[in-house]
Amino acid sequence: MKLRWGALTLAGVLALAACGAESGAPSAAAGGEGAGGDGGSLVWAVETQPITFNPHQWGQNKARLLVHNQFDALIARGKNGEFLPWLATSWKVSKDGLTYTFELRDDVTFHDGEKFDAASVKANLDQLVSPGYNAAVSAIQLRNFDKAEATAPHTLKVTLKAPDGLFLDFLSSPYAGQISPKSLKSAKDLKAGGVDVVGTGPFILDRFTPGQEVHYKRNPNYNWPPTGAAHQGPAHLADITYRFLPEAAVRVGALTSGQVQVIEGVPATEIALIKSDPELKLETSLNSGSAFSYYFNTSRPPFDDKRVREAFRDAVDVDAVLNSVYQGTAKRAWSVIGQGSPQFYDPSLEKTFGNNPARANQLLDEAGWKERDAEGFRVKDGKRLTVRTVNAAPFVRDRRDILAQAFQAAVKQSAGIDFQVKIVDQGTAQKAIDDNEYEIFENSRGDTDAGAALNLILPGGAAINRTKFQSDELDKLLTDASVTADLAERKELYAKAQKTVVTDEAILLPLYVPADQIAYGAGVTGITFEPVSGTPNSAYDVRIGT
Amino acid sequence: MSTLTLTRRRGLAAAGWLGPVVRRLGAGVAVLWAAATAAYLALLFAPGDTVDVLVGDGLDTPERRAQIVAEWGLDRSPLQQYGDYLLRLLQGDLGRSYILQRDVGEILASQIWPTIQLALTAATFGVVLALAFALTTAGRRSWLGGLVGLSELVVVSVPPFLIGILLLAVFSFTLGWFPVSGDKGLVSLVLPGLALGLPIAGVLGQVLREGLERALEEPFAVTARSRGITEWRLVARHALRHALLPAVTLTGWFTGFLLGGAIIVEAVFGRPGLGQVTVGAVTAKDLPLVMAVVLISALAYVTVSTIVDLAYLAIDPRLRRSR
Repeated sequence: MKLRWGALTLAGVLALAACGAESGAPSAAAGGEGAGGDGGSLVWAVETQPITFNPHQWGQNKARLLVHNQFDALIARGKNGEFLPWLATSWKVSKDGLTYTFELRDDVTFHDGEKFDAASVKANLDQLVSPGYNAAVSAIQLRNFDKAEATAPHTLKVTLKAPDGLFLDFLSSPYAGQISPKSLKSAKDLKAGGVDVVGTGPFILDRFTPGQEVHYKRNPNYNWPPTGAAHQGPAHLADITYRFLPEAAVRVGALTSGQVQVIEGVPATEIALIKSDPELKLETSLNSGSAFSYYFNTSRPPFDDKRVREAFRDAVDVDAVLNSVYQGTAKRAWSVIGQGSPQFYDPSLEKTFGNNPARANQLLDEAGWKERDAEGFRVKDGKRLTVRTVNAAPFVRDRRDILAQAFQAAVKQSAGIDFQVKIVDQGTAQKAIDDNEYEIFENSRGDTDAGAALNLILPGGAAINRTKFQSDELDKLLTDASVTADLAERKELYAKAQKTVVTDEAILLPLYVPADQIAYGAGVTGITFEPVSGTPNSAYDVRIGT
Repeated sequence: MSTLTLTRRRGLAAAGWLGPVVRRLGAGVAVLWAAATAAYLALLFAPGDTVDVLVGDGLDTPERRAQIVAEWGLDRSPLQQYGDYLLRLLQGDLGRSYILQRDVGEILASQIWPTIQLALTAATFGVVLALAFALTTAGRRSWLGGLVGLSELVVVSVPPFLIGILLLAVFSFTLGWFPVSGDKGLVSLVLPGLALGLPIAGVLGQVLREGLERALEEPFAVTARSRGITEWRLVARHALRHALLPAVTLTGWFTGFLLGGAIIVEAVFGRPGLGQVTVGAVTAKDLPLVMAVVLISALAYVTVSTIVDLAYLAIDPRLRRSR
């Protein structure tokens, strides 16, 4: 009897499961069809499921490649950071830097059939600054925005309250992805985005299964790619599925077994395997913005003493540590701005500091940390030379916990510094920041304009100025660089700022430049990175077969 | 047997069932309320401020903080917020997720079914395999018994995460029999179901076998054997009933195991479900979502333990009479 019940239960469960199973989904490995021509389906495994599909609410660099499938921005950016036409064909800036006049394309249609025009751009800007919608954008990127007016059906005039050299960068960012005004009004979950928040992009989001995948089909009417796209007209692929596979080993296995054709986020440990496989290709791109760095809290001991900051920096052979943790795949950083932002990076800082344990020990002696305790750590006035880094677990990625442990061992051995690594929940991490109970703050930012990252981290009282370092001179350099749109002038100002914080004051230790890795099957072409952000491009130019 | 006695017996039987059921339901509601309150208090006293959570990673200005406080009504006292929460709960409103910006009820509704499928599949694998292990090896000292015992120990000791990766490496990446991920019909449930079901089979199998072996040494087994019953019939029809009670007691444990394990298994296999939602909600301190997940877990426990209690009554008639 019991056995029969068991069998019945099994049958019941399986039947139940079958009813709930999704039908009509494309098979896992539909790639290969349509070789040589347009069409075909592609499956791309990504690491992170976006928190939102609404470009206005965007905040994860990892979601960038999805945003530009569905949404176009007003402006694109070229290889050298120059601004290129996209949905805006041209623009003029008034002499005082307060008025921007945009000429817009007149042949663009949203996925819901609405026409794209000056009124729809105005609706997007007004939405972005409306209370309770995106407080961060209205407080930071659009703080100087005054108003937008449609002076002709396809001419838009934007007035700023103060000149802002980063305004065009904002219009080229995912935040400026244009949403149909109709869906801004009617979408059920506007902030979360999804199928009912529509754009003008090359792909139409038609299915999202949280925790599993998001599916896009080709927009057959698409004919307005950004300047610099490899082709015109609709996208090559008939449809594309991004599957969320948070486990790196699973992503690699799915790729090598042909269940997906492209993966993003290749762990350092798997890079050799992928490189040795003739059927696979691997591409790496440095991200723009600020390098991953250890920022020193200068407001409390021991890092209120510049000698100790320099000593911590000189105590370690950063290259050796990076090699052991990332097996030769990490790009050493030398400045607060990474090499992924070549327009502002200052290469003259290279090899000007670090890997000098003798000097580190001498500096610590001079600073009064002369004695050693039983465990070999330096001591002053009965207090151990301890520095703490406190990180919220959800933001620890790229094996940064392992990197910190390698550092811990290195600074203990070479200079007797007690480096404590704490990985905690978000609330505890925030409390440590609020209570000023930390000595090291770890951060990198992926802003397309490195200046935006610096504005958040370096000026006195800035949003994430966790070094608590304050200098009127530095603040002025950064403000001047933000106001002007002249690239050469900005480069010069940022070079001065970098020298101040990296070498003169040693308020941070640059470690490595974050990068994106993509691996894909040999049959896939057109995988590229956005030149300015360094993150994977949308799937517009991607195709299967040659 | 007269009709009268028969009716009386039926009435008694119904009364025997009704009492425990009503008591259990009342206790269940109390447990749900306690769980909701405990979760609320835990999150209230957890370090960090809800505003910090909503501010997120960076961009922290007083204006933004003020906006957030006003938008979510965080300026009210904790007691007021708790009262509001319970009131809304009674109306079936689970609130809105801080982070995902969607209605919690909707998020759960879209994610609960894949998790139920996974849990049921895993439970079925677990129970069927455990029965198969125990029934084939109980009371027989053989190499097969040794092998099964060792396998049970291995699957109990290895975390579902690793079992999942190993199953994928062999059956998906190498042999290509099953797809890596997603919720795509029966075939995609096999590996995640096994990853989650094998540890259950391991524990349950050990308990069942021990129970069976103890039952087989009881006097009734000797009597049955002396009647010439086959060993198989003895194990399956007589000893099993005795071995089931301790195994059923474990059901509470494995409900918890299924809920906890689903979180990991869903991430490994890229399956939709409550698991990833839960991890995100807890790490981000997404209060409304965490509370809802706690309530659902409590509800699952209450339901399962009620069923277990009733199952005791079904398995062991003596319990029915004594109530």
